[in-house]
Amino acid sequence: MENVTIRNIKRDDDSYPGRMKMLPQMPDELFVIGELPAEHVPTIGMVGARACDGYGQKIAREFGTAFARCGIQVISGMAVGIDGYSQEGALAGGGKTFAVLGSGVDVCYPEGHRTLYEKIQKKGGVISELPPGTAPLRRNFPLRNRIISALSDLVLVIEARSKSGSLITADFALEQGKTVFAVPGRVGDQLSDGCNYLIAQGAGIAWSADAVIEELLSRGQVPSLKTLDQKKEGAKRALSEKIAQDPLLSDEARALFYRVPETDFFTADDLLARCSCPIAVVASCITELLCAGYLEEIGFGTYRRKEQP
Amino acid sequence: MYATCLSAQILGMEIIPVCVEADANEGLPQFIMVGSLGTAVRESQDRIRAAFRNLHLTTPRPLRITVNIAPADVQKSGTGFDFPIALAVLLATSRLPRGCLDGVMAVGELSLSGMLNRIRGVLPIAMKAKETGVRLLLVPRDNLAEARSVEGLRVMGFSTLREAIDFLADDVIPSSNDMETPRQVLNSYGVDFRDIRGQSSAKRAALIAVTGFHNLLLVGPPGSGKSMLASRIPTILPSLTGEESLEISRIYSIAGLLDPDHPVIGTRPFRHPHHTISPQALVGGGKIPVPGEISLAHRGVLFLDELPEFSRTCLETLRQPLEDRQIIISRVTGSFHFPASFLLLAAMNPCPCGFFPDRARCQCTEFEIRKYQSRLSKPLLDRIDLRVECPPVSFEDLQSPAADELSSKDIRAWSEEARKIELARFEGTKIHFNSEIPAPDIGRYCPMTAEASLFLERTFDSSNMSARACHKIIRVARTIADLDGSEVIEKKHLTEAFLYRTPEAISQFS
Repeated sequence: MENVTIRNIKRDDDSYPGRMKMLPQMPDELFVIGELPAEHVPTIGMVGARACDGYGQKIAREFGTAFARCGIQVISGMAVGIDGYSQEGALAGGGKTFAVLGSGVDVCYPEGHRTLYEKIQKKGGVISELPPGTAPLRRNFPLRNRIISALSDLVLVIEARSKSGSLITADFALEQGKTVFAVPGRVGDQLSDGCNYLIAQGAGIAWSADAVIEELLSRGQVPSLKTLDQKKEGAKRALSEKIAQDPLLSDEARALFYRVPETDFFTADDLLARCSCPIAVVASCITELLCAGYLEEIGFGTYRRKEQP
Repeated sequence: MYATCLSAQILGMEIIPVCVEADANEGLPQFIMVGSLGTAVRESQDRIRAAFRNLHLTTPRPLRITVNIAPADVQKSGTGFDFPIALAVLLATSRLPRGCLDGVMAVGELSLSGMLNRIRGVLPIAMKAKETGVRLLLVPRDNLAEARSVEGLRVMGFSTLREAIDFLADDVIPSSNDMETPRQVLNSYGVDFRDIRGQSSAKRAALIAVTGFHNLLLVGPPGSGKSMLASRIPTILPSLTGEESLEISRIYSIAGLLDPDHPVIGTRPFRHPHHTISPQALVGGGKIPVPGEISLAHRGVLFLDELPEFSRTCLETLRQPLEDRQIIISRVTGSFHFPASFLLLAAMNPCPCGFFPDRARCQCTEFEIRKYQSRLSKPLLDRIDLRVECPPVSFEDLQSPAADELSSKDIRAWSEEARKIELARFEGTKIHFNSEIPAPDIGRYCPMTAEASLFLERTFDSSNMSARACHKIIRVARTIADLDGSEVIEKKHLTEAFLYRTPEAISQFS
């Protein structure tokens, strides 16, 4: 690996984040590879379950990308699951993203996120209060959450179980006077229990990326969102037109596509329950839609709509 | 005096005719046995001596008896030589009329009391006897039904050595030989496909699998009905042809697993070994190898439940037989071929806890899931034609009346229709099922519409498919077209087959 510079920033340094300076219980020094979040740019902390499902994965990516496109910085913990997907989304949207680690800044944890870790160093920064070389110890992880919330203007929770580290982050955020938003989920969905609980406690409802961005509008200089909305509508219309004219698809496949759930993943049997054709037809239509790029397989005979480029 | 009697040695699936020679002459009284004999064969002189004494077959005077089993370069094993040795010795010591053993083959094990005990492998021995023009085959009574199932061969069965002597000396036919031809047992399975609610795609895949004999992998959470479905597969398996039935019985005879009263196996075998099985038990083993589970599942189903729990060695040893439809086991004593053309039916959970991708219940980490799935190697997955998801069953499905579901009888009737087309197609070839179509013949047996071949070409290019994967999809599409009663493969058949393919990995994390 190429040599990287690790900066050590003390509390009295000018470069010490202003957002953290005013708060109690903040570390005396920080270690940084890359940059620190810019002071006057709106920042969102995105946290959530490590073992997330397809829904969480999709939302984290989509929201991360949407925030990045509006010039919002995304802070997270680079863990597997929501953290990683959010930061991947932000990178895909061409924005800056910062990872606060529970290990030394020079220790990539989890190892599987090596590529992400290197990308974040170039398009943002990796931050830790722990001295370089510190191993990823379990007890350090809840502590780094207070830095994630401190660096953010708003904390967004995507998928959290009722006893989740993400709720700790939300608590920190409230203590620090930050706004908390949660992505609503279905009642009874264990992965959404934590989020729904936060909403019940008065957290903002992140029913779309725009809802969160609007909240930030009042604080910073976020560009107008109208254009983004129009783009989305346009994309939806374009998709319908594309499907209607696609020469690769049979009429049955076209009809079936409108019965495909919007965000959930599904199996062939789920789709069978929503329409009246025999299983052989459903199976062959799914293949057509897969090959034509309207669906993607997420494994084990489960599929979902593919995000259109 | 010198006497001979024919017998046979089982070597893997091969039967080697041998000649038992006995010589009785003046000299120091001794019983000598030569001819590359294994322990069990060598022990036979003790059994014979005791049996003679207990049947009061005393020699008039002490003699030097030499027994040789020719050809001497074939390693002899098993206990089937007791009977022919005893007969040859009796003839050599003039206690049987001259010439009574000409063109006679005998096999059987002697007990000390003179009773003849059942041995394994009599069916293939009888086939070989007929082939080599043996005049008469003598077997233990318990093997009689098995030997009689070979038509055009004279067979006699005896309970004791005494009965055999009476027959050879005085032509007394033992009463136990008037046996009725064994009746074919009708199978009642006690289970039916109708018992399974929901699981439409899994049932559809099962129908395709049994019709074309394609390997099938069921993936799903615990309790979704994978094992339930598997246990009902025998109820829809296509019926056996006479030739197949004989092939299976042959293997079971050598393994010593034939029912003495129903020597011809009439149903396709369904083998269900536990995942703690050793590689030798799975593919066959031993100093002189005996058939393993995969050969016992020949022309039938080998069901491996909880596939990733099987040892890596076990799973990898399956690769060659899945491709070649036979297993070659090499030992110091030689190479042994066992047929192993079976339908591999496997079931597994998607992750250690079993609930992935339902993240509300599955808390396995990505790493754990990857590790669990990587127990199945790519080459093994490559040999599985159909992979299907068994989703958890909903309560409404459980409540739905059983009458809505297809019964085993209906499914089997559908499958049999398609089988007729299949059998007609492969008339006069060695192919039995669509899954066995060799790659060079695919063009001939699997004509496609222009639309279908365009689709295949396009997906082949865009999805980095291997040639083997492509052929597999075509073979499955062939079966789907047969089920549809269609002579050519249409696009819809191909697209359906494509959905059941095994992707690079079972699960992908994008």
